[in-house]
Amino acid sequence: MKTILSAVIVLLFGLQATVAQAADAYVPKVYGKKGYVWDEMTPERVQVLKQKGDPVNGKEAFRGCQGCHKADAAGVREGVYPRLTGQHASVLIKQITEIRAGIRKNPKMLPFVQDPAISVQEIGDIAEYLSTLTSYRENGKGPEDLSAKGEKLFMTNKCYTCHGKHGEGNAEKSYPAVAAQHYGYLIREMNLIRTGVRGNSNPDMVKAIAKFKQSDMDAVADYLSRLPDYRTLH
Amino acid sequence: MKCKYNFEYMQMRALFALFGMLFMSPIYAEAMPPNAAAASEVAATPEAPAVALSPFEERLQLCAGCHNPDGNSIIPENPKLAGLDKKYIRRQLEAFKGGDRTNPTMSSIITMVDPKEFEDLADFFSKQKRTVGTSDKADLLGQGRQVFEEGVIGTGAPACMGCHGEDGSGDAKFPRLNGQNAQYVVNQLMNFKSGTRANDAKGLMRAVAKRLNEQEMAAVAEYMSTLKEAE
Repeated sequence: MKTILSAVIVLLFGLQATVAQAADAYVPKVYGKKGYVWDEMTPERVQVLKQKGDPVNGKEAFRGCQGCHKADAAGVREGVYPRLTGQHASVLIKQITEIRAGIRKNPKMLPFVQDPAISVQEIGDIAEYLSTLTSYRENGKGPEDLSAKGEKLFMTNKCYTCHGKHGEGNAEKSYPAVAAQHYGYLIREMNLIRTGVRGNSNPDMVKAIAKFKQSDMDAVADYLSRLPDYRTLH
Repeated sequence: MKCKYNFEYMQMRALFALFGMLFMSPIYAEAMPPNAAAASEVAATPEAPAVALSPFEERLQLCAGCHNPDGNSIIPENPKLAGLDKKYIRRQLEAFKGGDRTNPTMSSIITMVDPKEFEDLADFFSKQKRTVGTSDKADLLGQGRQVFEEGVIGTGAPACMGCHGEDGSGDAKFPRLNGQNAQYVVNQLMNFKSGTRANDAKGLMRAVAKRLNEQEMAAVAEYMSTLKEAE
């Protein structure tokens, strides 16, 4: 009897510990898996948004990123590394925290943004710093001008609902600015979003481009790559 | 305890003997500027010193054995210390002292150096002018330049110049690479890759080295050994 009783007690304590652990540990939910919530406010993202980003610290912390995104944060023209200048801080924070959490799959970038490469404070610092940069180094564009077709697709599929009529995105809702981004990067990410490989796809966007042929994506990417940096429009 | 002391004592005596031999060896004398060679000969025969050396000068001779009197080591496996940032040199000395960085020679030598001496040593070598090597391996230099400026796109290895500066001059955080001995650089990259060396800031260099193969390491090391500081 005594043995059974102690076994039950041990079991109960064990259960409690497991439940407590599950409540503590954040488990990332990736696109396509049960329970995936797009744009989920992860604990780390909430924490970063609460802090005030320091652009001076951000400039220093960004040095570890320059090997790929370049010192002016304009990335690589071929689009292997995206242009970050002018991107909304909220978007950068969303993407960095989701890569760190394992929601957005980016194995190339992961070692350079995960702990200890970058601290939680530095995420906000870097985002703040980048949003102030004004490098207008020419971005990579498509091999031929498909902007007429691209614009039509962009408008008829209402891409502007999130990304804005000038491709300026929406800082408040963490929708990325896509104007003047590298053509190669836009195509790559559209494919990764559509197939779900990116891990943090917006289901609405997956739906919006589900019927796109590759040539349609090429056209939209080309159109966006030829738009001016939205900050030059004012 | 007594046994340990004796062992250390013998080890130190052996090292001193080794250095005595090094200083007097023709190879060493050839490599050094004439006045420095003369100075070390003086040190090797303490019975009849022509010029009295200060404790700091004597200490410099210990370093000079492997790193050359001006900090531009001519031994390919040993790093050039000349022109490295003072804080960087200090950090490495402290890492060797504390065991965070290990090397068969340095880990022994550092037991003879008092941490109080680190500041002056770092100051001295940081103020020496870094020499730059030459190479006629055009193919290797071309590939190395690409790795230095663009990284390796396929594996996602970042470009060296992102952290170490466009001319590889480095600073307190990231060491100077221009003119550095190629073999030393390759060895360090291999050590970072395997994790044998793990005193890099935030694990950045280990993450980079994992994405470089031996060919790319050799190429970028060769290129950097010839790289000149921007005017």
